[in-house]
Amino acid sequence: MPQPAVTLTNLSRSYREGYRDHRVLDHAELRIERGESVALLGRSGSGKSTLLNLIAGIDRPDKGEIRIDGESITRLEEPALTLLRRRRIGFVYQFFNLIPTLTTRENIALPLELNHCAKAMMTDKVQQMLEAVDLSRRGDAYPEQLSGGEQQRVAIARALVHRPALLLADEPTGNLDQAAGKNVLGLMTTLAREEQSSLLLVTHSLAVARYADRILTLEEGRLSESGMEAAW
Amino acid sequence: MNRLLLRSALRHMQRHPWQTWLSVLGIALGVAVIVAVDLANQSARQAFLLSAESLTGKATHQITGGPTGIPEELYRELRVEKRLRQTAPIVEGLVRLDGETLQLIGIDPLAEADFRNHNEGLNDQAARQFLLKPASVLLSSITARRLGLEPGQDLGVTIAGRQVDLHVIALLEGDNPAVLEGLLLADISTAQELLDSPGRLDRIDLILRPDQVHDLTAALPAGLNLEIPESRSRVMLEMIDAFQINLAAMSLLAMLVGAFLIYNTMTFSVLRRRRLLATLRVLGVTRGELFRVLLLEAILMGLFGTALGLLLGLLIAEYLVQLVTRTINDLYFVLTVTQLIVQPLTLLKGCLVGLGVTLLAALAPAIEAAGTLPISALRRSRLEQRVRRGLPWVGLLGLAALIGGGLWLSTSGNSLLGGFSGLFLIIAGYSLLVPLGVALLSRLSERSGKRGSLLLRFALRGIGANLSRTGLSVASLSVAVAATLGVSIMIVSFRSTVADWLAYTLTSDIYVSAISSRASSSDTTLLPETRGLIQSLPEVAETSTGRRVTIRGPQGPVDLLVLDFASNTQQGFRFLEPPLPELWTGYQRGDQVLISEPYAYRYGLGTGDRLTLDTLQGSLNLTIGGVFYDYGSDRGLISLSASAYARYWGDTGYASVGVILQPGIEPSAAMAAIRKALTASDQQLHFRSNRELRDYSMAIFDRTFAITQVLRLLAIGVAFIGVLSALMALQLERSREQALLRATGVTPGQLIRLTLLQTGLVGCYAGLFALPLGWLMSEVLIEVINRRAFGWSITSQLPLDAVFEALLLAVFAALLAGLYPAWRMGRVSPALALREE
Amino acid sequence: MYRLAWLLLLLLSACDTSDTEPESWQVAEALGGVDDAGFARATAPRVFHFPRDHGPHPAFRNEWWYLTGHLQTPDGRAYGYQVTLFRIAMQADPIISPSAWRSNQIWMGHAALSDLQAERHVAFERFARQGAGLAGGQSAPLRIWLEDWQLQLDAEARWQLRIATEAFNLDLELIAESPIILQGDQGLSQKSDAAGNASYYYSIPRLASQGTLRQAGEAMQVAGLSWLDREWSTSALGPEQAGWDWFSLHLQDGRNLMYYQLRQKDGSIDPLSAGSVSNRAGMQQILNAERIQLTPLAYWESDGKHYPVEWRMKLRDEPQPWRIKALFTDQEMRLSVRYWEGAIEVREESSKRLLGKGYLEMTGYE
Repeated sequence: MPQPAVTLTNLSRSYREGYRDHRVLDHAELRIERGESVALLGRSGSGKSTLLNLIAGIDRPDKGEIRIDGESITRLEEPALTLLRRRRIGFVYQFFNLIPTLTTRENIALPLELNHCAKAMMTDKVQQMLEAVDLSRRGDAYPEQLSGGEQQRVAIARALVHRPALLLADEPTGNLDQAAGKNVLGLMTTLAREEQSSLLLVTHSLAVARYADRILTLEEGRLSESGMEAAW
Repeated sequence: MNRLLLRSALRHMQRHPWQTWLSVLGIALGVAVIVAVDLANQSARQAFLLSAESLTGKATHQITGGPTGIPEELYRELRVEKRLRQTAPIVEGLVRLDGETLQLIGIDPLAEADFRNHNEGLNDQAARQFLLKPASVLLSSITARRLGLEPGQDLGVTIAGRQVDLHVIALLEGDNPAVLEGLLLADISTAQELLDSPGRLDRIDLILRPDQVHDLTAALPAGLNLEIPESRSRVMLEMIDAFQINLAAMSLLAMLVGAFLIYNTMTFSVLRRRRLLATLRVLGVTRGELFRVLLLEAILMGLFGTALGLLLGLLIAEYLVQLVTRTINDLYFVLTVTQLIVQPLTLLKGCLVGLGVTLLAALAPAIEAAGTLPISALRRSRLEQRVRRGLPWVGLLGLAALIGGGLWLSTSGNSLLGGFSGLFLIIAGYSLLVPLGVALLSRLSERSGKRGSLLLRFALRGIGANLSRTGLSVASLSVAVAATLGVSIMIVSFRSTVADWLAYTLTSDIYVSAISSRASSSDTTLLPETRGLIQSLPEVAETSTGRRVTIRGPQGPVDLLVLDFASNTQQGFRFLEPPLPELWTGYQRGDQVLISEPYAYRYGLGTGDRLTLDTLQGSLNLTIGGVFYDYGSDRGLISLSASAYARYWGDTGYASVGVILQPGIEPSAAMAAIRKALTASDQQLHFRSNRELRDYSMAIFDRTFAITQVLRLLAIGVAFIGVLSALMALQLERSREQALLRATGVTPGQLIRLTLLQTGLVGCYAGLFALPLGWLMSEVLIEVINRRAFGWSITSQLPLDAVFEALLLAVFAALLAGLYPAWRMGRVSPALALREE
Repeated sequence: MYRLAWLLLLLLSACDTSDTEPESWQVAEALGGVDDAGFARATAPRVFHFPRDHGPHPAFRNEWWYLTGHLQTPDGRAYGYQVTLFRIAMQADPIISPSAWRSNQIWMGHAALSDLQAERHVAFERFARQGAGLAGGQSAPLRIWLEDWQLQLDAEARWQLRIATEAFNLDLELIAESPIILQGDQGLSQKSDAAGNASYYYSIPRLASQGTLRQAGEAMQVAGLSWLDREWSTSALGPEQAGWDWFSLHLQDGRNLMYYQLRQKDGSIDPLSAGSVSNRAGMQQILNAERIQLTPLAYWESDGKHYPVEWRMKLRDEPQPWRIKALFTDQEMRLSVRYWEGAIEVREESSKRLLGKGYLEMTGYE
């Protein structure tokens, strides 16, 4: 029985806002199986991004435990967290966040190189990903020369090229028109499945959330599964 | 190192060529100044050593004499009676040629074989001429080429004021022609004739076995010394140490400003990439990897800058070496340097400083960058908040450095190095305080600008709101401006102190002196009857005589000022502390001496202490009757009465006569009368009025500080580049904000005005902050550095025009630096900027 | 090298052969030459006044004081020595100058010692300008000195020679055992055809010598016989002359023989070659090329120069030929002027009987 990709147990995180504490996560529980895609639905400021940051090891919980691939990351030191991100996690942002000084091909290759992948394998893999996101002709273009949709496709390729256990996507279509958004979402879910990566998709749009196997909502710091699906 | 990270960093530099190249240029200028000064210093030293070596040849020892030289009979005694076979007599003197001074060396070619190898290519005619024909000389081939002279031509020169045509019979090549630069070689008889010193040698070179040394030392007549040539060269080199250390420190000042620049650039480059860096961290780039990439970026700039700096340094050095040589010639000894001697060590030093300072300056920004949290949410406003919160701590650190620098200055004794390190600590400390000051000042100006136009308020707030940038820019510009202000206050103070001193010291109306031709000391004496002839004129009230000779003091050679006062001109001395009550009678009697302030400072002597001098009659123990101010020699002076000097050295010569005129007599009329009275003597004389002598002295003073001015300009250059780069970064980074303004209807003209207003304000702040630091620096330069280097006390002044100049400089530099960003801002397209982020 | 260059230049300039390569320069050339403007010339016999004429004659260009001799220690060690003091004027007119160093006269000294048992020859050279007390000559009382080398003649007619070199010190007292011999035509020695190419030349052939020789810290009493030659001239050899072989012999029968053979560049012997044989009383017989026949028998080579170190000498008035032989071969003076000067012995060729000892000087060999 394989370990689940992500397990959150009793997770709490609050921020100080002015003179009072704002509890963003309150004893949240979550389990994402390997290869499963989960959408996280919630309003702005509901704490979706915080949850994402906690899972990526960028932020730390006040209480509770996070396990990635069965390994608890809550007590890991910063360098170990960085390595964890490097190997097991891929990221897709609303604002693409490509490296402007690297070409499409180089942007995609970056995670592989960070993981000390052999050069020949790297070239193949990057080419493969380029074709997968249908950008094989834009390999030498810089991000600024690409449209928004193209940029996001590059970001997806970059996020999945090293076959991470988990792909985290934060409003990946937030900056795209509808057609491009559909294209990106389709690609992302398909590729995540092909690469056997679990997907955690954060969005405020139900239409986007529908691409996932499962939809969760974050409300008042708690995650709930059932209600929403029933509602739609 | 990660290949893609590296590539990304390189492309970043390529995409911001202005920033990159300005940094490289800043490093280059800093390195160039250091290398140039070091090259100039080293070339001067090397030229001196090489020519000393080539002139000393293989001599193991030298006999040197006092003011009267060495009687040539001693040479005969050594060679014939004492059978010292390896001995060579030397006569030395100076020859002037259109503002240039050449060294005349007289040798006996028949005794030279064991010592030197000047010329093997002399033909028979030339050799015979060299020995037989008066005024025949061999001239350094390099000098000849420079002067456009061919063998067989005549060279019109002045020797001790006499016009002489020297006949150049051949050129000196030697193994290394460069070391012979500025040298005239003549037969010893020719040299004695030309220098009018029959019977006198200046030096005897010897090759001695160790067992001969002791006997010879014991047998030497009083007043003569047996020395090792290197020790003589060392003593001469020590004379220029303080001067050269000062130059080196000035060059470090330029590098310090350069370091600010690099720090500035790196900080900006990190700040503007903070989003990118955060992304990289999310992708799993470790802190170490990020740190290394940023450091590598700095190293690359450092390498470029250093390489460029070395080249630039070589170019500047060509010019500096002339200034250095001129100062050494004016103040210390005759030296001709036309060739840069490039030592690998100098280049290495430049490399180390360039790369080292770059790395050091880049360290903090790189650490900061490595610490970037992967959360891209760290917004600019939060960063500014953090900077603001850190300000008091930075300020505290600055305060600590300031106090530490002050303490260091007061506890480092007489060490010049300690003085400079203290000074640098103070500068660093002060610069750390500047951002805090900018914050306060901007808050103040925001408040007072409340009723101004929106644009004005916007500009004012922009400075305070972007403290992470503006603080830095203001700090680096302040340091640069302060450095120039400090140096300029120091020079002005020094100059006015010297002018005061001259006015006080030069008590006579007219000075008559013999024109000197001696290399070792300014020692050409007047004909014995000169004073009497002058004194007998009806226009003349009183006369005094003076002479300066080099003798052996307790700590090596020292200049002795031999004076015979007119009855009422003793007030030409101003004393540091009250002299002994019976000073003047004791002085006249010859059992009290006066010492100058640098001498007292250097050897820790004071009024009432005792001093031992080597005289021809043996050693002489004297009481120091007083310590007087003197700015003529940084080595220090001892003054002895003429009667005492005559008694102990058997020498009644004097080199100058001071003439005090009867009341109501015009100096020019009196000068004519004196000239007439002295026409009978065939001696060439200088006649200078009090005013002319003062002007002449001040001209030398100004020449001495020419090099300081050059270094000051270079430091300003580096500072200017720093400000340019900082302000450009500041403005370019805000292009989005500017685009917003444009989009809301602000015209390009208004935007340009806004930008210039802001940079002008930055300059203004910098100027204001530079004032206290400049004054502080001048105080340290005057009270600590100058005293330790030269032993002079200088009365500080606060010249208002220098202050005004500093302010103007700051504002002007800032405005100039704002021009390009303003121009760019004016052309910014509103749409373009809005698209990003 | 340096000193050599200087010397050569000085000497060369005196004979004004400016195109001559220093390396090929020979003694002969220094003493010959063309431009003698202003110098006095030896054109006719003169009256000699002694001791005044022992002193320098600065109006002539060249002059020398030449001592050679054989010395023995009480325990039988034998030495030959040669000491020469040369005066060379670079121009005729003396120069008036306030500087004592300005002088038209240069002095050169050569001193050599031949250790006949060890067959070791050492030679030294000195230069100084006349003036500043370094070198010079005076005639009353006679004193010729070059730094710490000096030759004096005291009121009791005793010559004093003092030489100190890096290898040996020689202090000798010399007393004439024979009268002064005027060589050539009453002291006028014609060296080549042109008028004035002659020198004034006299010898004191026999000087009883005794004194001290110090070598390597050891002082030895020495005694023996010396020969003094004095010669001054402005020009001597002609352009066709190559060099000379000069013999001075102390014969055991009390006779003294001096003969110089002038060699021409074509290999022939110049008819002006001359000499004399004198006895203890000063009776003198002139030798010329017709009265003497010299044949080189054996050569010794040094750097391409072939010096004849063994000779047959046949005097017309002697029944038997003599065999003259260097006491050892390497007595070359490798100084700034290169020549051979060494101790020799003379034997009867047939019986090998020792007839006497002497000195041989050979110059101008290629």
